[in-house]
Amino acid sequence: MKEFKYVITDEVGIHARPAGLLVQEAKKYTSTIMFVKGEKSAKATSLMKLMGMGIVKGDEVTIQVEGDDEEAAAAAIEAFMKANF
Amino acid sequence: MALDYRKCAEEIVANIGGRENVAQAAHCATRLRLVIKDNGKINKAALENVDGVKGMFENNGQLQLIIGTGTVNKVYDEFLAVTGMSAATKDDVKNAAAAQQPIWKRILKSIGDVFVPILPAIVASGLLMGVVEALGKAIPTFGDTAWYAFLDMVSNTAFAFLPVIVAISAARVFGGNVYLAAVIGLMMVHTSLLNGWNVGNVQAINDFFGVTDGVIPTWNLFGNIHIGSYVLGSISRHGYQGHVIPVMLSIWLMCKIEKWLHKVVPEMIDLFVVPITTVFLTALATFIVIGPIFATLETYVLKGAQWLVQFPPGALIMGAVYPITVVMGLHHMYNVIEAGMLSSVGLNTWMPIASAANFAQFGACLAVGLKCRNAKLKTVAIPSSMSAALGITEPAIFGVNFRFMKPFICGMIGGAFGALFGAITKIGATAYGVTGIPGYLTINNYGLYTILLLISGGIAFVLTLIIWKEDVPEEVPAPMPKEETSSIQSNGADVTAKKVIVSSGGEIAKCTPGTVISYTEINDPSFASGAMGVGVGIEPEEGVVYAPMDGEIVSVADSKHAIGICDDNDQELLIHVGIDTVEMKGDGFTPFVAEGDKVTKGQKILEFDLAKIAAAGHPNTVVVLLTNSDDFEDIQLGEQ
Repeated sequence: MKEFKYVITDEVGIHARPAGLLVQEAKKYTSTIMFVKGEKSAKATSLMKLMGMGIVKGDEVTIQVEGDDEEAAAAAIEAFMKANF
Repeated sequence: MALDYRKCAEEIVANIGGRENVAQAAHCATRLRLVIKDNGKINKAALENVDGVKGMFENNGQLQLIIGTGTVNKVYDEFLAVTGMSAATKDDVKNAAAAQQPIWKRILKSIGDVFVPILPAIVASGLLMGVVEALGKAIPTFGDTAWYAFLDMVSNTAFAFLPVIVAISAARVFGGNVYLAAVIGLMMVHTSLLNGWNVGNVQAINDFFGVTDGVIPTWNLFGNIHIGSYVLGSISRHGYQGHVIPVMLSIWLMCKIEKWLHKVVPEMIDLFVVPITTVFLTALATFIVIGPIFATLETYVLKGAQWLVQFPPGALIMGAVYPITVVMGLHHMYNVIEAGMLSSVGLNTWMPIASAANFAQFGACLAVGLKCRNAKLKTVAIPSSMSAALGITEPAIFGVNFRFMKPFICGMIGGAFGALFGAITKIGATAYGVTGIPGYLTINNYGLYTILLLISGGIAFVLTLIIWKEDVPEEVPAPMPKEETSSIQSNGADVTAKKVIVSSGGEIAKCTPGTVISYTEINDPSFASGAMGVGVGIEPEEGVVYAPMDGEIVSVADSKHAIGICDDNDQELLIHVGIDTVEMKGDGFTPFVAEGDKVTKGQKILEFDLAKIAAAGHPNTVVVLLTNSDDFEDIQLGEQ
């Protein structure tokens, strides 16, 4: 399993539209990608769950990637986070 | 292939009538927002075909080009480069229609913007300081008590370290890092430097530096290179306690340096190069250029003041210009004059002049406080005037009078005549350090002093009442009183009788009265692409959302404009009101549900203000997307 942490710097956090793009990105991979913040967690493929986490600027999220293409998926998600959040 | 940002920007400029047709440019998360002077020069068809422009529309006098997240900022940078324009914030764009203000007005506004947020700190300190100093003079034994020493410290903290407070506030106004600004502010009152209040005090200088000639030693950074009497890179080792303008100048410069560095320094080394370079360059400029200019001015002011007050007409002038020297922060050495008078003739005739000037600012400020209808200004002006009556005029001058200018000038006129009266009657004080009402403790003639205060304060008060008029803010018409429930005409049962999304997962009803369009017609690339699931858009006739199905609320965005609902069939529905409305930060949106609530179809879950969305320049389409539409089959969209 691959795991990394990311602190949200985007002003509005993970809200609807960018979260939609994140889901799209996550769906490209077969690995299970989990977003964890405190006690809450969500699959990166579920837009509702992601938004329900209420991730805002300054939050640290842990992203866990597990599966056949975890290397590529983790790298892609990390790059995506840096570019968008 | 990656988009050619430069080419994209050039083509945009070419199709909007060139550089000269653009009044302002800014961008948000996805779009380039332009204020165009003559819309007739826009070639709309060509603009839409520019590679990189995904859509365009006009709103509130803005031309908005949809470019996309992560791309728009790069196109924007190129746009600025191509047109040679400077960056504008969205607010600037909104204000572009407003007439360009003259520079002195903008400077005054900056000073006001810096000073107003820090007023609570200095009003509190100013009032307390006035009371403590007055008590110390009134009851000589009180001056030796622990209470006096303690209260003295508490009350003068904000003034002793004023540069720090001003620096932080200025950084917020001028857009720099507040912590770096705090460093600059602290540096200006560093304990390695002589306290700025003691610059004219020979004894204090001798004690502080261990010298005997009463001259403040210098640091000559570049050796002994003389240019006339000026030594290059020479820093006089005194602080800037109580100063305001030099601090604002330094921080303004700091912000310029910082922004410039952020632009030119590669991102990889930005974090350590930018702060250190910013602080170092600002410190050099502060101590070598800005500081000495003000110290030199201070010396001239001192000499001029000493000469002026020998004759009554001079006192008249001094009474008028005194507050200007306060604004410039050049009034700190007047104690030297007072001490000199006391030791030579035993009577401080300076104090009545200063008192007249200060009390006139009190009168002007009080007039503003009584006349204004703006509640916020009132709460600033009244306590500030009280502080000024006690001889601490900074809050009144910077927070009120100087901002509006006319009260300040009325104060100068009042101060001039009060000072003239003082000089003619030759009243004086037997000590120094207090003015205004506490001045009674040291003055040698109560009756004449009372007349002096009445003249100066009275003239300033009456003039201000007559001349100064409150600017009534134009843009805020009184909000229409709205009746919460009755303004909504539709009812949930009727609206949700129609279906808009039908699939193997179930039926999703219409949630807002209005025209239903396909998601592909929504004026936003990411919604229209289906990337977030398929669904519909509703052009709302009324600002209300009803639950389109039975289910559970799984998310309510902090900005209240988006709600997620799940039902028993695992349909995950996103209701997103308007495009880019996240920028409104919740203003105009009133959700009636919270995360975890169970809702039934037809129940009102959100109200939103169509007028506010229009005012903010956003489309108001209610986006309804089945975000996990991949999981379902036989999806039919549209009202039925």
